[in-house]
Amino acid sequence: MGTADHHARGAGRISGDLNDLMPTTRFRPVPSPGPRSRPAFEPGPDRTRTIVRTVGEVLITLGMVVLLFVVYEVYITDLLSAGKQREATAQLDDRWHDEPAAGPERTDHFEGLGEGDGFAKMYIPAFGADFEFTIVEGTTAASLEVGPGHYPDTAYPGQPGNFSVAGHRVGKGAPFNDINLIQSCDAIVVETQYSWFTYRMVPLAEEKAGWAETKGKDPRCEGVGPLGGPYAELVGQEIVLPTNGGVIAPVPHQPGVTASSGEMASLMTLTTCHPRFSDKERLIVHAVLTEQLHKDPAKPDERPAALRETG
Amino acid sequence: MYGWIWRNLPGPTAVRVALAVVLGLGVAALLLFVVFPWLEPLLPFNNVTTD
Repeated sequence: MGTADHHARGAGRISGDLNDLMPTTRFRPVPSPGPRSRPAFEPGPDRTRTIVRTVGEVLITLGMVVLLFVVYEVYITDLLSAGKQREATAQLDDRWHDEPAAGPERTDHFEGLGEGDGFAKMYIPAFGADFEFTIVEGTTAASLEVGPGHYPDTAYPGQPGNFSVAGHRVGKGAPFNDINLIQSCDAIVVETQYSWFTYRMVPLAEEKAGWAETKGKDPRCEGVGPLGGPYAELVGQEIVLPTNGGVIAPVPHQPGVTASSGEMASLMTLTTCHPRFSDKERLIVHAVLTEQLHKDPAKPDERPAALRETG
Repeated sequence: MYGWIWRNLPGPTAVRVALAVVLGLGVAALLLFVVFPWLEPLLPFNNVTTD
């Protein structure tokens, strides 16, 4: 009796197991009707599938939005900035053209410049004859979208002190995209209404020793060699933290020092972000004024020789 | 999500494709010319000045 019971229970268990293994109604193939004809209530996997698929689609969409943002940063802002730069250049050309071109008053004035007003053009011949940007006043985000921006409290072109300019390295016209490739003695030419100023990058830290015997012999490098006095520590390129505002001081890194007017050099400093796409550090380029050419109304096509040093 | 949009676009397939393209371009334009210009200054990618 006990044995029969046992068997019966055993058989029941086996049959139950088999029932579990057997295909049930859930697995019955659904005749494939159009999506609309599905019942409103879908128990089981279909509902789960819908949720998983939606989550997946949302994630893919977010990924595409991020990609689109990269496209925006690198290309679209270039287009927008190119238009603003063209406009600023046209305005500057108009102003230079309209103001009196003759007489004794042929000196540059930089007073009364408003934020975002163009006042000079810069050329880096080593980057090609077409490297030309109008420099605007101020370093706000809006000004830098137009072009390289002048730090308002620093010197103006040709003046003793440190003519300092910030520019974007990625997108927004990226005027300083390749600024790490500039070499010592390469010219940065600045054009104002009445003058041409040629700045040249000063020696890199590793070039300073033995400068006179090596690169210093290059005729282009005349007046570029290591500066003495308070400028002894000056190097052509450096990478600093964003908080290091001393790089645009009249004597870089020594904000308190004011060189006597006799030994005060006319420097130019460029600042941009480093590494590319990052806010972590700043790449700084220092140059020194080596040549100055007053525009002569009788010779409107006269250009400084450095403009022909195209690489 | 995309399936739902596709099912709810009216018209024959050709019209649906055209509408989908227009929708996609509209979203892209909204992002590029409204959302990203607003968003960008809030992100630390492009600061070039020293303080």
